[in-house]
Amino acid sequence: MGALEGLATGFGVILTPANLYYCFIGSLIGTLVGVLPGIGPLAALALLLPVTFTLTPVAGLAMLAAIFYGAMYGGSTTSILVNIPGEAASVVTTLDGHQLARQGRAGAALGIAALGSFMAGTASLVLLTFFAPALAAIAIRFGPPENFGLMVLGLVCTLYMITGSAVKGVLTIALGFLATAIGIDVVNGRDRFTFGSVNLIAGIELLAVVIGLFGVAEILANVEHLARNTLLAERIRGLWPTAADWRASWRPILRGSGLGFLLGLVPGGGPVTAAFMSYAVERRIARDPARFGKGAIEGVAGPESANNAAVAGSMIPLLSLGIPSNAVTALLLGALVIQGIQPGPLFMTQRPDLFWGVVASMYVGNVFLLVLNLPLVGLWVQLLRVPYRVLFPIVLLLAVVGTYSANKNVFDLWVMLGFGVAGYVLRKLEYDLAPFVIAFVLAPLLEQSLRQSLVMSPDGAMILVQRPVTAALLAASAVLVVLMLRRKRPSKGGST
Amino acid sequence: MVERALNVFWILLGVGAAAHAWTIGLTGPSGPESGLFPLLAGLIVAGAGVALLLLPSHRASAPAWPRGTALGRVLGVVVGLALMAFAIPHLGFAAAAAITMIVLLRTVERSSWIGSIALTIGAVAGVMWFFGHVLGMSLPRGPWGW
Repeated sequence: MGALEGLATGFGVILTPANLYYCFIGSLIGTLVGVLPGIGPLAALALLLPVTFTLTPVAGLAMLAAIFYGAMYGGSTTSILVNIPGEAASVVTTLDGHQLARQGRAGAALGIAALGSFMAGTASLVLLTFFAPALAAIAIRFGPPENFGLMVLGLVCTLYMITGSAVKGVLTIALGFLATAIGIDVVNGRDRFTFGSVNLIAGIELLAVVIGLFGVAEILANVEHLARNTLLAERIRGLWPTAADWRASWRPILRGSGLGFLLGLVPGGGPVTAAFMSYAVERRIARDPARFGKGAIEGVAGPESANNAAVAGSMIPLLSLGIPSNAVTALLLGALVIQGIQPGPLFMTQRPDLFWGVVASMYVGNVFLLVLNLPLVGLWVQLLRVPYRVLFPIVLLLAVVGTYSANKNVFDLWVMLGFGVAGYVLRKLEYDLAPFVIAFVLAPLLEQSLRQSLVMSPDGAMILVQRPVTAALLAASAVLVVLMLRRKRPSKGGST
Repeated sequence: MVERALNVFWILLGVGAAAHAWTIGLTGPSGPESGLFPLLAGLIVAGAGVALLLLPSHRASAPAWPRGTALGRVLGVVVGLALMAFAIPHLGFAAAAAITMIVLLRTVERSSWIGSIALTIGAVAGVMWFFGHVLGMSLPRGPWGW
């Protein structure tokens, strides 16, 4: 199936009232979590994963993807108006966006952010439409040995994602492997680490892990510092940017789109890196860099375009190879697994309706978001009046119901609480938790593909070097490891 | 102090996991057995724990632990969630959630009685309606049937 034919199929799938409704709901929730400081797209996706149980895979994935890119749109609103980034990828927008708002140009900043996001989002989707099938066409010939090589490469790439201590990153990946080993071994039916507990036979529930690590841990971090939001008193006028704004912004939007897309593809890149990188580029090539930080519209246009383009970029390795490039795409991968869909190179050929449906939903979602973020910006500002102390008990209820709904087992609630407390403590100690989730999702696939490879091989482990693609993937992984070891890495850093 | 204790915990966890994995079996006629991957993971966890214990450059730079009221709020949420997990099988979701929420709002947030009750009723009813009615999920019921 060609790209255009596939896209037409995708629109046929997504343009039904039910799928459009869930795409719209995802865009709405995404904007909401982007606007509200204290709950990011990762926590929102973790909390809403259980909702997808009752939906079709297309509706569920379209909704979750819309939350991801919707948060990128919504995040700029609070950054510009109240100098509080709604989510991490909009931190850099506060620098010039809020300065523009203080100069009475909030409308122009919001307009450029929304329109730039729309243009970058759409442009990167066009690239996704043509690039992902090409990659998947190569990957379709993969068997268990190639899949093993791919998973190894995915885990090695995960190491690139680690912020802060590399040792802590390696440790969290190994913990992910250990956690996923709990339960019955699917290859031979043997118990591992269950210690006679009935609750552990089926393993640790992915939902309880992600809701605990990202939902509960985030709530615990936020209740520690409950702050009141102060709103910009001025009314927002002139959402349509002026001709001068467009002249200053179109190049940063184009550059941000390209940069964001490429950084989205790279594991560890993603929207946050893309936004910061775009800001740095714009400032570096500006005729008058001194304007940056004082209300330069390019400082809004570039990063806001880049973070949206990075979303589409990060969907390529996820949808065509089954490799998540960041924590949010790891959760989307988890959603596929929960729906009983095997992620990986065969995904596109086995479920073209789902693949193209999700791609088409992103085109549609971008249009929804433009409408939600320009005319309705006043509504989102009003939402900032809702204090977090009112929101967090409701979010806690959602966490409990979401976790319980997976297996109707109270044991999962204790797992969620345990991982929540662990996530809170580990974040304090500057552990990056995203690699844990990626390892948790990839480890069973990796183990299974290696064992299948060895069963089908008359020469034992030699099959891993006899198959050229596997050998190439493993060699690439080895080169990356060597490069990482040689790379000068700061010993201290932030945490997820 | 907390980080050192955690690093010791990683070592113990890693060694324990590796030892248990050894007893499961590492290799068989057709390649790796169930214990091989957990053994490797356990050894990496233990090794990383040793490295973190010995290399101060990999430690967190002065983590800010909550104190006073902030600590109370964090503990309040943890205790509230534990209370809810404990109460759900006995009281059902609605009653357990309502009690937990009122306790959290009164003790952690020090909201007024009227505000706490109003928010609790609204939130619990909203969640039950959305998950129970809209999404068709069956939430645990108490002895009184709801």
